[in-house]
Amino acid sequence: MTCASGSRPWSRAVTDTGVYLYAIGRGMQPADLAGVEGVDGSLVRLVEVGDLCGVVSTVRLSDFGEEGLRRNLENLTWVDAVARAHNAVVEQCFVRGPVAPVSLATVCFDDDGVRARLQTWKEPVERVLQQVAGCCEMGVKVHGTPTAPVADPAQGAPGAGAGLAYLRRRQAESSQRQAASEAAVQVAAQVHAELAGQSVASRRHPPQDRRLAGRGDMILNGAYLVDHERRDSFERLVRRIGEERPDLQLEVTGPWPPYSFVSLDAT
Amino acid sequence: MTSSVQPTTHVVPAPQQVALVDLLDRLLGTGVVLSGDITISLSGIDLVHVRLYALLASVGAGFLEEDR
Repeated sequence: MTCASGSRPWSRAVTDTGVYLYAIGRGMQPADLAGVEGVDGSLVRLVEVGDLCGVVSTVRLSDFGEEGLRRNLENLTWVDAVARAHNAVVEQCFVRGPVAPVSLATVCFDDDGVRARLQTWKEPVERVLQQVAGCCEMGVKVHGTPTAPVADPAQGAPGAGAGLAYLRRRQAESSQRQAASEAAVQVAAQVHAELAGQSVASRRHPPQDRRLAGRGDMILNGAYLVDHERRDSFERLVRRIGEERPDLQLEVTGPWPPYSFVSLDAT
Repeated sequence: MTSSVQPTTHVVPAPQQVALVDLLDRLLGTGVVLSGDITISLSGIDLVHVRLYALLASVGAGFLEEDR
């Protein structure tokens, strides 16, 4: 995807660096990010349009150009390092004030490219910054197999043949599995609703692969935008749900910058 | 980024290190999605997410321990 910053089309040919955008904040000072290193080792700086600040650093296009990204995004060690560096920069902004994190690997040709985007998205970004002010994101992952009512597979007409008994057993097992999966959907929705009730906003990410967690099926991968001041009561609620539902394991992550709550709509 | 929720029988403490998979949930496909000059197109981001996810799942949770 190319949409150069217009006025200097030749600049692409003569430069081998790009500008990586981490986050957008408001009224930041260069001192807020003094000494913070970005994904490529160079220092993080601000690109401003009015009150809005793009938090950026210069990156080598050999790694962050289209071809480089395509190659590097296949390399988990690279992705791990870049994702953590990106997150560290966003956290630095987050401790200082409301911030709208930008998606991983958003790279412009130069500062003008960043300014053009800040200009274009000024209003929705300002709206989003207002929405997330004073809040953090908490993650709650729920694992487990909620207990469903168990059918008795031995139940069957006395004297029925072995084949019929087998079929009945298979049928019972299948309906148990279905009941368990329906129960999981229902319980996940209940837990999510309860947590959402204590949040400013909420969102469900797709459950993570069970191979990653190693503790059974994930039935809920929720993100909750919580007022900083209500974080304790949110965590108490998670604890209470965990105590009330011994068939579930709840894991809390965060506080995160409000990654899951800054989608822009262009209206 | 570990929470201050105390471990009880059923609330397991989150691991000390932020899991890459939790980061990727947040860094890909969420956040402010602007198209940069050089970036994967919006639908491309979903594809990258899916591919990375599969890659991560295939090497399993051991990836982080190996590396650190």
